[in-house]
Amino acid sequence: MKHVRAIAALTTLCCATLAAWAQQSPPPADEPGWAKGRPKSETAMKMAPVPAFPIPTAADQLPTKKFKLPPGFKVETYASGILDAREMRQGDKGNIFVSTLFVGNKVYALPEKAGADGKRTPKVVIDKTEQATGIEFNKGTLFFATNKKIVRYDNIEDKLDNPGEPKVLNDKLPGGSDHSWKFLRIHNDKLYYPIGAPCNICDPGEYAKIYRMNLDGSGVETIASGVRNTVGFDFDPKTGNLWFTDNGRDWFSEELPNDELNVVTQPGKQHFGYPYCHQGNVPDPEFGWGKSCDDYVKPAAFLGPHAGSLGLKFYTGKMFPAKYQGAMFIARHGPWNRTKKYADVSVAWPDGKGGARVEPFMTGFVENNSYLGRPVDFLVMKDGSLLVSDDHAGAIYRISYGK
Amino acid sequence: MGRRAAGLALGTAALALAVTAGPAHAQVKPKKPAAAASAAAPAADYAQRFASLCAACHGANGRSDMTGTPALAGQHSFYAITQLFLFREGRRSNEAMTAVAKTLKDDDLRGFSTFIGTLPPVPPPAPATPTDNARMTKGQALAQQHKCLFCHGADLAGGQQVPRIAGQREDYLQMSLRGFKTGTRPGYTMAMTEAVSQIPIEDLDVLAYYASRFTPPAGK
Repeated sequence: MKHVRAIAALTTLCCATLAAWAQQSPPPADEPGWAKGRPKSETAMKMAPVPAFPIPTAADQLPTKKFKLPPGFKVETYASGILDAREMRQGDKGNIFVSTLFVGNKVYALPEKAGADGKRTPKVVIDKTEQATGIEFNKGTLFFATNKKIVRYDNIEDKLDNPGEPKVLNDKLPGGSDHSWKFLRIHNDKLYYPIGAPCNICDPGEYAKIYRMNLDGSGVETIASGVRNTVGFDFDPKTGNLWFTDNGRDWFSEELPNDELNVVTQPGKQHFGYPYCHQGNVPDPEFGWGKSCDDYVKPAAFLGPHAGSLGLKFYTGKMFPAKYQGAMFIARHGPWNRTKKYADVSVAWPDGKGGARVEPFMTGFVENNSYLGRPVDFLVMKDGSLLVSDDHAGAIYRISYGK
Repeated sequence: MGRRAAGLALGTAALALAVTAGPAHAQVKPKKPAAAASAAAPAADYAQRFASLCAACHGANGRSDMTGTPALAGQHSFYAITQLFLFREGRRSNEAMTAVAKTLKDDDLRGFSTFIGTLPPVPPPAPATPTDNARMTKGQALAQQHKCLFCHGADLAGGQQVPRIAGQREDYLQMSLRGFKTGTRPGYTMAMTEAVSQIPIEDLDVLAYYASRFTPPAGK
């Protein structure tokens, strides 16, 4: 009965739409990329990406006390009032650079030492820049990527008040909106960056890949293909392999597909499935015809349906118990196109056979099916503590162990 | 075959019922204050501050006759706070609003937007001229064609960061749509700039006409 009703509704909608198109001459506006593939059900039609809230949560309202961690770990508020806090990298001189995505249009520098009032006050080092998201620090230089270009600010820690004009390394990035923001990592003097699919589901062409280039912008090459939208990756200190999170397509169903945790073992030669195959075993209902999931690299682990898997960082500190050495932390930002919300910091251990075991590490981000906070990225501090950024609450938390 | 036809007929009846029930339900639905309301700012304070600071232009109930001044009645608190934020940050410009927003602290943005989110929708006054049905039909077709309903909903009531546009002032909608097209009106996200970039100005004006006079269908 319900099904029939849905068909009747669809038929009505289709006819109205067709009739409308038939009368009009100008081309219809494109549907937003995120809406491609959205079913016409009433519930789905009410779901859309929700940008970060424009006001950071007040320090005394943060969910810090509600977080749950394994025994022996504790979490405290490291900094509050950091609007839209996304990716974090630390400079040689201790400054913690924090990027933003849709709301902040800024990169902040946060002092490692708190002021006399016990607070860390952010200084704005890059301002009025859309998608000021991709940052990496290497040998005195801040690498910075928007959706349009990658630049470098040399010796930035000596001129935080006026970083000056950066050197442009690559201004040929495609821009756009869907999945066009950047995550950066430098490994063996190469800068790794993704170009995400320009849509929910489509033939991505030269998009949907992880690339790398030399630190002067030369020598761009493909590292992995079929990567829909990775917003976090890191190199296994033991093997040197690149591990990355990938956000699965939207609107397939409430429970499918899972986000993927993937590992690159043959740089430049592997295809991870998008748009043909999701989570290694679900052919796409449109692009999967004539394709076989066996032709693509399977994920090392599932990270949950529509999880919004973002930052990924191998733990390289000494403070946490030995079993966390060689483990990676993964920020599950939480779904927008799934009825039941969830978000956490997960931890994953490579099993040495190409797979990984994943379990929740820090929970308490969701209350009454609403987000109190949403984790984004990590920074391992010199003392071995772990910082977690939260763009929803505009805060940074510090996780420590013992004492 | 017979069973199937009966099923379809029943389905159609159910659909008609659903259409009847939908908007009525939407109109009586009590509006919830934003979950993110700050405990530090009692709601009553902002009701009073709204009356003294905002009502002169926007109306005590969130709707006024002042040219170019949007109805806030029925607007969502998330949308309201994004706009107050854009005014305060100097990204969206309007002389009166920029002056007001500059004085607001984070708690004020929360307090005002939470209060605005509690104002029930107020229907527009009867238009001075009879409704041009052909223009309305064209507006409806354009709204379908340009996917307005994808975000604003079939009832044009919006939700979260997406504003209610049903019954909004026509002059304000027209100014906003033209502003998105020409780039003088930044949004909280790029959604509107992208959505209207290819639409001719005259069609934007038809959309403004349509949305400002739109009332959810009451069923047949």
